[in-house]
Amino acid sequence: MSVSVESGNKGGKKPLNADLNLVPYIDLLTCMVAFLLITAVWSQLARLEAHQKGQGQAGEDTPPEKVFKLVVLVNDSGFNLVADQDQQPIPKNGAGMYDYEKLGNELKKLKDTHADKTDIQVASDDTIKFEVLVRTMDTALSSRFPDISLIDSGGAGI
Amino acid sequence: MPIHAPHAHLYDSVKLEVAKAKLGHEGRKSLYAPLNLVAYIDMMTMLVIFLLMSFSATGEILFVQKNIVLPDAQNWTELERAPVIGVSKDVVTLDGSQVATADELMKDSSTGDFKIAELHDKLVTLKNNYKLLHPSEEFNGIAIIQSDKNVEFKMLKKIMYSCAVAGYQNVNFAVTPKAKGGGSGPAM
Repeated sequence: MSVSVESGNKGGKKPLNADLNLVPYIDLLTCMVAFLLITAVWSQLARLEAHQKGQGQAGEDTPPEKVFKLVVLVNDSGFNLVADQDQQPIPKNGAGMYDYEKLGNELKKLKDTHADKTDIQVASDDTIKFEVLVRTMDTALSSRFPDISLIDSGGAGI
Repeated sequence: MPIHAPHAHLYDSVKLEVAKAKLGHEGRKSLYAPLNLVAYIDMMTMLVIFLLMSFSATGEILFVQKNIVLPDAQNWTELERAPVIGVSKDVVTLDGSQVATADELMKDSSTGDFKIAELHDKLVTLKNNYKLLHPSEEFNGIAIIQSDKNVEFKMLKKIMYSCAVAGYQNVNFAVTPKAKGGGSGPAM
């Protein structure tokens, strides 16, 4: 297995044909293809980070500081955005779908007024589907709230 | 006696007429057929480049299960190696072995305790094993929940509670990565 390079020599002297030995190169390619095919990852999956209220974290000896509390309550009728003492219902849209766009806009407004706030709680009812929760958390991440806690609506204290 | 350069020759006892004619330079048409390898090498090179681009050094942490359809998310991060809790509409598994059924989890507990005993015990064992194997590292408390998108939060909260009690405070949800700025996805 070789490839010859014609030099166009017609002078009757020593031919200048050079044979490239391609056997090692083909061997290398074959080994690489076999290795990469075996180790290939065909399904690309990722993760979405969430935290929980840990046991013992809430019950410290020192009284907690008064902090701005931000909760997105997810229930069957839509969202309820709780920012400290203010509650803002975001009902489902006309087609009966959750209004993620409006939630995102409201969260962005809150982020603009509280730039140092990074944590948010997503409180869910029992009947809410996982897909809705993931999209809600995704919306919160898009609004630059990276520290997300997923909790039960009963534990949100609203 | 003239001196000739050494070359291949056949003994008289060998009755291969064609070979004898070739070696004696009596043949007419050359039997040497060069093989064109350019296309083959091109194809192999393209294949290697494609496979190198899709290569992942971390390997496959999560396996797609046929009864679990993952939700999409735009703000995702790379997977880490951690215990994987699979949640389908019928069964809950930890690293492939069943720890609870959906019917058990959908029932309201008479005692009000959300803890799934088998899942909790296995997670505690995994945590202790990790601490034994990595004495110098701090336990990060990460567990990955690979849940079907139609599973209700009632099931998930019991799983999350069991994880928290076992020391896994950081629960990550497996998602299908979606490019930022892509479609808004199916409505829910």
